[in-house]
Amino acid sequence: MPPGYDPSRRRRTTPAARGRDARHEDGPGHTARRADGRGGGMTTPDVRARGLAAPLAGWLPEQRWFAGKHRTVRTVTPVSCVALVETEPLLDHVVVEVAYAAGAPDRYQLLLGYRRQLPEKLQHVRIGAVDDLVAYAGLWDDVLAEELLRLLDSGAVRGGLRFRPEAGAAIPRGEPSRVVDVEQSNTSVVYDESAILKLFRRLTPGRNPDVELNRALRRAGSEHVAELLGEVEGELLGDTVSYAMVSAYAANSAEGWAMATASVRDLFAEGDLRADEVGGDFAGEAERLGEAIAAVHADLADTLGSTELDRAGYAELSTGMIGRLSDAVGVVPELAPHADALRTEFAAVAGLTDACPVQRIHGDLHLGQVLRTPTSWLVIDFEGEPVKPLAERLLPDSPLRDVAGMLRSFDYAAEHLLVGDTADDHQLEFRAQEWAARNRKAFCTGYAGAARVDPMRHAALLRAYELDKAVYEVVYEATHRPAWRSIPLRSIARMVAAGS
Amino acid sequence: MSETVVRPVPDEHEGSHVTADGQVTHPQPADYRSARSLPTDPHWFKRAVFYEVLVRAFNDSTADGCGDLRGLTAKLDYLSWLGVDCLWLPPFYASPLRDGGYDISDFYQVLPEFGTVEDFVLLLDEAHKRGIRVITDLVMNHTSEAHPWFQESRRNPDGEYSDYYVWSDADERYPEARIIFVDTEESNWTYDPVRRQFYWHRFFSHQPDLNYDNPRVQEEMLSVLRFWLDLGIDGFRLDAVPYLFERDDTNCENLPETHAFLRSVRKVVEDEYPGRVLLAEANQWPTDVVEYFGDPDVGGDECHMAFHFPLMPRIFMAVRRESRFPISEIMQQTPAIPSGCQWGIFLRNHDELTLEMVTDDERDYMYGEYAKDPRMRANIGIRRRLAPLLDNDRNQLELFTAMLLSLPGSPILYYGDEIGMGDNIWLGDRDAVRTPMQWTPDRNAGFSQANPGRLYLPPIMDAIYGYQTINVESQLNSSASLLHWTRRMIEVRKRHPAFALGDFHDLGGSNPSVLSYLREYKGHADPADEDSPEIHDVVLCVNNLSRFPQPIELNLRQWEGWVPVELSGLVPFPPVGELPYLLTLPGHGFFWFQISARDEGT
Repeated sequence: MPPGYDPSRRRRTTPAARGRDARHEDGPGHTARRADGRGGGMTTPDVRARGLAAPLAGWLPEQRWFAGKHRTVRTVTPVSCVALVETEPLLDHVVVEVAYAAGAPDRYQLLLGYRRQLPEKLQHVRIGAVDDLVAYAGLWDDVLAEELLRLLDSGAVRGGLRFRPEAGAAIPRGEPSRVVDVEQSNTSVVYDESAILKLFRRLTPGRNPDVELNRALRRAGSEHVAELLGEVEGELLGDTVSYAMVSAYAANSAEGWAMATASVRDLFAEGDLRADEVGGDFAGEAERLGEAIAAVHADLADTLGSTELDRAGYAELSTGMIGRLSDAVGVVPELAPHADALRTEFAAVAGLTDACPVQRIHGDLHLGQVLRTPTSWLVIDFEGEPVKPLAERLLPDSPLRDVAGMLRSFDYAAEHLLVGDTADDHQLEFRAQEWAARNRKAFCTGYAGAARVDPMRHAALLRAYELDKAVYEVVYEATHRPAWRSIPLRSIARMVAAGS
Repeated sequence: MSETVVRPVPDEHEGSHVTADGQVTHPQPADYRSARSLPTDPHWFKRAVFYEVLVRAFNDSTADGCGDLRGLTAKLDYLSWLGVDCLWLPPFYASPLRDGGYDISDFYQVLPEFGTVEDFVLLLDEAHKRGIRVITDLVMNHTSEAHPWFQESRRNPDGEYSDYYVWSDADERYPEARIIFVDTEESNWTYDPVRRQFYWHRFFSHQPDLNYDNPRVQEEMLSVLRFWLDLGIDGFRLDAVPYLFERDDTNCENLPETHAFLRSVRKVVEDEYPGRVLLAEANQWPTDVVEYFGDPDVGGDECHMAFHFPLMPRIFMAVRRESRFPISEIMQQTPAIPSGCQWGIFLRNHDELTLEMVTDDERDYMYGEYAKDPRMRANIGIRRRLAPLLDNDRNQLELFTAMLLSLPGSPILYYGDEIGMGDNIWLGDRDAVRTPMQWTPDRNAGFSQANPGRLYLPPIMDAIYGYQTINVESQLNSSASLLHWTRRMIEVRKRHPAFALGDFHDLGGSNPSVLSYLREYKGHADPADEDSPEIHDVVLCVNNLSRFPQPIELNLRQWEGWVPVELSGLVPFPPVGELPYLLTLPGHGFFWFQISARDEGT
């Protein structure tokens, strides 16, 4: 997951781009059918899926959520095939194992639709042909998307898949749907304004924390999550896996990132007003956001338990931070001038003795993970940092890590408009920092007012978490968006200078 | 106006009189001619564009420096041209004028400088001739201390009027009732040295509250109502309606007794004067205000209309914050209203921009943003006109007016805002926004022939908003003027019943700086007429609250295949497809679309 927030991630795939994809996929599809050499009468999902192996090998790397883009795909093998809808249009749930030229294989789940004739509006998600059937990405089909909710509503069990509605949840039916294909690890279907289905594309053994934490928060009656309506889970080759979750859709909501950056834009447009004097001031929102995050943390601690960081815990934390720093300096040499100061900061964490709680947290909190609705702030995407292994994401951690994540995000919101600003405007830089300082403070005030832990009373730990996050951001930006690496680098320089 | 009407001396028999034995007698409607009536239409107020006009400020026909009823009558053609359906006149009754006429000393007499009851009937008649209705304020809660009822009540504690007001030996009862005019009043009780008791007043101490626990007071007020309705008036704005009754251990607002009395008032209107309206002035949260519509099962049995107070400050807040949430929040908190009812919405009126219905934080914010000079503040509010509040920015003036004309409710324009008049914060109390209407660049802004020194208030004369720059005459001569623009928008609004009668659906969308909503009406073109054609009118309104250009992606899936047609020029936009509908708006820009079933362009 990108640090701070990455607006480009949310960009919609244009129909034109999809058209290109579809043409590209056509070739291998036909080749596969001829190679397979089988005629009609392919009636089982397994047979259909095997017939698609070759086109899928071409189709998968084109998908936004496919993580193996930089690796060479060797084989695509269906390991689980379940028919979900057996009248045309057909819907198969297929898990494929993707083997690469090197390294461990990945497993992805696909929802494959089949029709004899593909309507024009589904051409852009065509995958290939198997006999007289055309296979396509089934989520884009209104009819099939609706079938998924019907299965959930009825609590269906199909093969190893269990559709489980939450107790008392009303599953909406008959709404038009649209696919939101902008996430790096998921595909979502939004049912008009009532529900959102999130399909976890890459499968790993174990329960997805997003389902688990949303369920815990729903039971705690939290007003800061969208209501969990149900999940799809099951057994895959002996392991329990989470396939999908369905939540109430937060209609009329906007991302915290969009609201924060609107405020920064407003500030930059004012000649000489201070951050607290402009109409677009965000501090009130930031404070309420702090309160919301604190309430979420409190509910998670109450329902899933909490302990305190002990000496060993601090030592482990410190070791982890130092380790990540060493790796990072190896990748981004620009970090080297700050390495000693950072190492000293991180080493000092081992000596901390404050009583600081550890509990289940969000794990990847930033302004793109919070939604403003007309009634409250909502927190979404409790999956934790996707680059970490699942087992690690389930471990208790300090809520200060979430606080630090949000503080870093305020810094990003303030600075991102200045990326590529060749004028190197010191005045704007000063005002950006003024905005960040004001909103970080407001967020902490809101958080402290509603939380059991006041972030400012653990200043050293909070700072270490922030620096740790900033180091991670430098590496991420250097790899993905080199122009943006100035944001975390400057933050590190500022924080180090202020600390010495 | 050039014509100067010479008015006869007011009839000395006009108005109420006190007889030698202390009886207060009132005139009867039969003493006067009645205005012609308009066809009975039970829903007219749902579609009407209202215009609040201060008689004093609009047009002076007698060259005495003060506007009057005949002056207003002479300007009806202008209001008709603008597209106004109903005039709202603040009180024009006899009054010592210590509270802008809300301190009434005789409900049966017109303030002499405004004219006579006959002049009022003439105004009604001429307005009705043009299809324009007229409503006025009725202050039910209190009278002026100069009212003969109060004078008799204080003079004779055992007489007929002794219980017309709320008297007490001590000043401690009803401690939970808040003080409304915090700038001037310290208590809701004031000692009267004549009667040697305290009297109750929710507003100024010179405005004693009537005692509604006395059935005779209730009867008296119904008689006042009937008097004006018989002359032909189209309805009343019931001023300060939540405060009619007092009860121990309550805040003395919104009491059940008050609602019961309103039901009896409504019954009189329903039975004897169908088609006339009651508009509640209750500066409360929408959830409390809906109580003033009455029983939803019968379509409402108290007031037909109520002001939506909390919406207005939030429109200002939303634009300054460049965020739709202040508006989305209050719309979400606004409950459904009975089928026979309508909200009244406004941007500005003759009072300060009231900030009672916002949190303390929000009030500080509004002061900081819109009333930087302390003189701009009055009570809990801001005393400024629309144009100066918006820095005279034409784009924002249009955006605000577009929202006023498209959010749910009947819009109420404030006189002069259609030309972008300014204010004068150096005038006392709320007079800043009550200066003479600016008709021409001539002497006294064309408002009066009087010697400039005689005017009730000086016209605005500064370089930006002064009458030489801002006036009706010059704006009539320029088709690009705010006045012409406002008129065109009113016209567009009237072509689409969805604006007046449609449901409201907040579309949200990806961009927090853009407020988008659908108004949808399905039903008879005239809801009161089962024989009128069935129509389905859908309007999409998109407002950019930011000063910067903004994109917005809207989920219009429900309208796939339909065509948005922009309403000012009828240009068809690309049809709605499966993907979110993308629009781009200039800074503070807005769009009104009709969602049209077929692509009528080629």
